[in-house]
This record gives sequence, C-alpha cells and structure tokens, in this order.
Amino acid sequence: MWQNKHELIVVFLLFFLIPLLSGCWDSQEIEQRANVLALGVDKASEEERKKEDEISHLGKRIPIPDEEMIKVTAQIAIPGRIPLGPQQPGGSEKPVLVVEVVGHTLQDAMLNLQQEVADELFLGHLRIIVLSEEIARHGTARFNDFLRRNPEIRRTAALVVSKESAAKYMNLDPELERVPSLYLADMVDNLSAIGKFPPSFIGLFWSIFSSKGQEPYLPYLTVIEKTTIQLNGLAYFHGDKMVGKTNPLEIGIFMAVRGVGRGGYGAFITVPGKDESVLVRAVSRKTRTKVTLRNGRPHVSVKIQYESEIDEKESASIELSDSAILKKIEKEASKSTKKSIEKLIAKTQKSKSDIFGFGEHFRAKLPRYWDKHVKTKEKWDEIYQDITFDVSVDSHIHRVGMKSK
Amino acid sequence: MGDPKEITTIQATTILISTIIGVGVLPLPLFAVRAGETSAPFVTLTGIFLAAVGLFILAYLGMRHPQKTIITYSQDIIGKWLGRIFSIFVIAFFLILTSLAAREFGAVVVTGVLRETPLEVTVIVMLLLASISCRNNINVFSYIHNFYVPMILAPVLIVVAFSLKNANLLYLRPIFLGNDLRGMAAGMLTVSALFQGSFIITMIIPSMKSPKKALKASFWGILISGGLYLLIVIATVAIFGPEEIKQIFWPTLELARTTAVPGNILQRLDIIFLAVWVLAVFTTLFSSYYFTIHSLKELFQLKDHKMLSYFILPFVFFLAMLPQNILHMYEIIQYIGRAGLLITIMYPAFLLIIDFLRSWRRGENVAKQT
Repeated sequence: MWQNKHELIVVFLLFFLIPLLSGCWDSQEIEQRANVLALGVDKASEEERKKEDEISHLGKRIPIPDEEMIKVTAQIAIPGRIPLGPQQPGGSEKPVLVVEVVGHTLQDAMLNLQQEVADELFLGHLRIIVLSEEIARHGTARFNDFLRRNPEIRRTAALVVSKESAAKYMNLDPELERVPSLYLADMVDNLSAIGKFPPSFIGLFWSIFSSKGQEPYLPYLTVIEKTTIQLNGLAYFHGDKMVGKTNPLEIGIFMAVRGVGRGGYGAFITVPGKDESVLVRAVSRKTRTKVTLRNGRPHVSVKIQYESEIDEKESASIELSDSAILKKIEKEASKSTKKSIEKLIAKTQKSKSDIFGFGEHFRAKLPRYWDKHVKTKEKWDEIYQDITFDVSVDSHIHRVGMKSK
Repeated sequence: MGDPKEITTIQATTILISTIIGVGVLPLPLFAVRAGETSAPFVTLTGIFLAAVGLFILAYLGMRHPQKTIITYSQDIIGKWLGRIFSIFVIAFFLILTSLAAREFGAVVVTGVLRETPLEVTVIVMLLLASISCRNNINVFSYIHNFYVPMILAPVLIVVAFSLKNANLLYLRPIFLGNDLRGMAAGMLTVSALFQGSFIITMIIPSMKSPKKALKASFWGILISGGLYLLIVIATVAIFGPEEIKQIFWPTLELARTTAVPGNILQRLDIIFLAVWVLAVFTTLFSSYYFTIHSLKELFQLKDHKMLSYFILPFVFFLAMLPQNILHMYEIIQYIGRAGLLITIMYPAFLLIIDFLRSWRRGENVAKQT
C-alpha cells in the first residue's frame, strides 16, 4: 500500500503528533476561570463563625481558636461584563460578583470559597487585598504564608488597611471606574505616583517586614459618603501588628524622612509678622540620613532639603513681591516642618515602630555595633524607643506660579 | 574525529556562556544570601573566581594537548588504566549533572507555571529535545549555542535594568560581613559549582580553529557569565534584602515577577523571563548531555556518538526522578555540586601538575643525552 518506507514514516509521524494538538494539562478557557480581583479580610462575627462547614478540617481538630476566624469577601469578575475597550454601551449590570466566606486561615477561606463557586478560582489577577483595621491590629503575618507560597499572587498587588469593614469596600460602587477593585487598586498606585503616598505594594511590605531594622507601613483608607474613598493616613506596624495611624499630612512628613524624592503635600505656613498664611507645596526633597554613636548610644541625624512652591495665598494683604519675604517664608516652613518631623518620630518611638528604617542604616553603616548590641528585630525595636535624633530642614522656594504679587 | 576544525574563538566563548547560564540563575541569590547575608555579592565573586581558576587550568591543559580531550589526554598523562577510571568518574558526574538540571527545570515549571502538568512530562520533553539535538556533530553544536546566546543575555539584563528603580542600597551593606567564614566558604563552593558546565571547554578545544586561543575564550566566557550572575545577585539583594531572599526559593524569578515595564505595557515580566530561561536550561542540558555521550564515545573508542544519544536517555531520566521532593532535590544538588568540584577543579589541577613534572623530566633527560 505504501509506496516506500519514507512515506510510512511521515504518516506515522503525523499520527504521533496528533496528541500534541490537544494542548497541555494546564490549558483552561478564560470563561471557566473565576478571576478573583480583590479580597477583603474581616474578623468573623459570632453568627458568621457558625456558617463554616467541614471543608478543610473535621470538627474542632484545628489549633486555631474560633475567635480568630476570618471573614473573606472576594470580588470575582463576571466573564463578559468586564469592559475591555473605552466604549462599552449599555453596561449597567454589575461586572463583579461578591461572595463572602468564613475560615480559620486565608487558605481555609479560599477552599471554602471554591466550594461555592463552580469555576476554578484564579488569583493571578488579584489587584488588591483590603484588611480591616481590626484584623491588621491583630496581626497580618498569618496571611503572608499563603500569599507567598501561591505562585499566582503578584508581588505588585496592593495591600491596604481600611477603617471600616473590608467587606464594605468590596461592595462599593465607585463612579469613576466600572470595575470597583480596579478603582481601589488605582487609588493606591496613582496616589503614590503623584506623591501622596510612598511606593507601597505587597512585595515591598514583605521585604520591609522581613528585614531587621525597619517596620512596615500601609495606606489607610476610609469611606466617605457612599462611593468615595479617602486616603486617610498611613498605618504603621510593630512587627506584623498595626499599632497606629498618622493623619494625611504626616504621610508627607514620613516620605521626607524616608527619603522619597517626589513631593506632593502642601501645608499652610504663617507669614512671619502677619496673621495670614500661604500654602506651600513640596515639589521634591533630598534626604540625607547619618547615623552615629554618641557615648555608645545610637543617634540619628536627618538632613532634608525641600524644593517647594507657593500655590496660594490666603488674603490680599500678603505682599509676595520681593524675594525677602520668600526667605522669611522659607525659614518659617523649615521650622514648622522640623517640628512636625520631630513629633512624628516621637510618636512612632512610643509604639516601637521604626517605619523610617533607621535601624537599616545602623545595620548597614555600623555593622560592629549592630552585631554586638542589636542583632534581632525585637532588640532593635527596644533600642529604637530611646534613640536620640536631630533634624534639620532647609526649604527653598523657587517658584510662585504665574502671579507676580 | 572526522569533523573539520571550524569552531572560532567567539563561538567557543558563546558555548561557554550559554552552557554556564542555566537553571542555576534562579536559586543563585538564595544560595549566596544563605552563605553571606549582605555579603552575598562578595561570596558570588569569590565563587566566580574559583570557577575561573578551574576553567583556566582546563584551558591550559587543553592547549598543551590540542588534539585531545580530557578523556584521551588523561590516559597519556597518568597512564591508560588510571586515566580510564578517572574518566568514568567524570562521565558519571556529568550524567548526574544532566539529570539534576532536567529535574530542577521540571520542579520550577511544575511549581511556578504549569501546575497541572506532570513532572515526568516536563522532564522527558526537555531530555528528548537535548538527545535529539545531540545527534548533530560538534560544529552544529556550536552554531546552536551561538544562536541562543543573545536571547539568553538580553532579557536578563532588561529585567535587572527595569527592576533597579525599587533598589535599596542599604541592603547591600556591609559588603563584607565576616561573622560566618565557614558558611561563606561553603557558599563560595556552591556558587562555583554552578559554573561546572564550563568543563565543556575540554571537548571544544580539539575542534577549535586555533586551540591556542582557548584561554582567551575561557576568559571572556567566565567574565560575561560571571558578570551576569553577579549582577543578578546584586539586583535581587538590593531589591528584596537578604532576609526576604531567605524566604524565596527562586529570587531571580520573583524579581521578574515584581518588575513591570513602565507605562503598563507589561505588569510582570516573569513569563518573558521564563520563556528565555527555558532556552538557557536547554543549552546547558544540551552541553552536559553532549559532553557525556561524546566522552563515552572517546572512552570506548567508538567512531560515532549518535547512537549513544538515545541509549543514555533512560538512565538520565531515571536519575532525574530519584529526588523525592524539591527540598530533597536542592540538598542533593548542593551536595553533588560541591563534591563535583573535586572532579572539575581538583582533578584537572592534579593532571596539570603531573603533566608539568613529566615534561620537566623529559627535558632533563634530553639535556642529559646531549
């Protein structure tokens, strides 16, 4: 039948190749995936705790007490309803499905969630994880293991702390973006791009949490009205537990000390000799941190150079027409910034939370001291409580805008 | 032996580069940081230095015996039987190295990307590819390496360049943390074990157009591949910090996952990185596989190596399946790697010394006669 051996080989080869056409084991259609876009983690309330079925463990055979159970609210994309282009007519349907589950740990909750969703959960598009303040104050370390171990999770996903329950954020319906979780994630990314918050993503949170001489920080959000979210401050941590929050303007102060170059916050500065004030906004900064030992005790000196701009003056009686008055404003600005910095450092010292990473400077620059007296993170937090510091701020106002007076 | 001598110096260099860069790039920062914390770049540098010494010894030996590989000239230097016994060790070692590289590749793919695909399938596909390619002669071998090198180097450099904006230079200090010298020495050995593929130079020299330039080729080969390894260690440590790296199996892969091309073009680079990394693994596997069968051929004085290509496949596959799990695998890799330095550095050094002594004695005899 076959004319020669060669032809036979070719036919055999073709048959041999057919199984390859079926694709690989991991092929999965996009509609059959439940893309989780956002997760909110809350503490489970008493009646919610009873909802858990025996999915990942039988009865009480789990060392985590029921009081520590969590409620996870997941936002899952509904296939076909996520707008892909700029124009998607007639879209009033909600593009996401919100599901609530309880569990003892994060993975426990995810297993429980899978039991309720027909399609396989996919976490590769997870953009943001919201932790309620209650959970954050209780400790975040127990979520890290699952998130680190799972190869689908992006290190660039955002992690935030919310004042209200995290579930509220999952049900939020912001007007600016069709997909609520994308708006939430953009909130964090874009605000750090315009200098309202230092770079913050889950990978960075982990790196800071692991390193010995610094403590992590996260954005702190609150809901205003029904659909608006506000960046309300910076949540700072001691170990994995949130211990406090700053007010929004202090984020700017924090960024200055931490050495984030991009400025974004403005503050009212009283014009010397008058009762009125002008709004001075930081454009960029340069920070130099020096660490020394004074009589064997750690001492930090921070030098910050501000490059600022006058955005607005409060009343017409202020004359902004000569450079002498700018000099005075510069001086006043430096003075008030210095005060706020000292206040903020003292505040974090009280709660043993070295968010500025001074400890890293000691570890890097004075390795002998570190090896002898510190060595561990816990020890550094103790020492941080009573380190001494001096701050010097040097403001320069080079621009006043388009107005000559 | 019938092949024309066509390999140029540049080709020899590219063979070395693409052979050295392999599966090792992924766990390299973890090995270095475990050994030296913030002095991980220093540990890496010493490891590279040690590997360079081994490579130069091999290149020099090859230049003294430009027609032969280590399998054949060892028989001249230390006697026929002793040379053969040592050669069996060398071949066995590269057989194990090939299987471990294939297994490590499979482990990464199964854990990181294709989670449903059986481990056996990823390993066997890679080994089949290598064994089919190994049926070519040594000139084709060098073309394949030459072709892939730019594709291996460029993406790694891109990932490193884009990631550096998140770097924190404090993580790299103090540069020399001298509190665990034994650990650092062990780390140095582990790092230099990642360069063992450079042994391939002994097989290339007889086919080079001008074997005298072997030393030059080795110098550039180790400079480029070592430079790239050092760059990867510096970048990962500067971005994650030593403490975080200790928690990650493959920091280099994690680096690609964290890095985004600005402007929302690509939000994570790991897919590109992995695609390229598959090439890098393939070239490494290809080299060690080729070396194994080529050496077998020379040991048994056969004419052709082609049929050996499929013959050893089941052995390699079987060895690759031996480690029980990923932790077990890395224990074996580190152990075998360090022990292998005896074969890849100490053995050539021993040969070189004997060779020197012999030629010195021969010179003396000649002097006596005249």
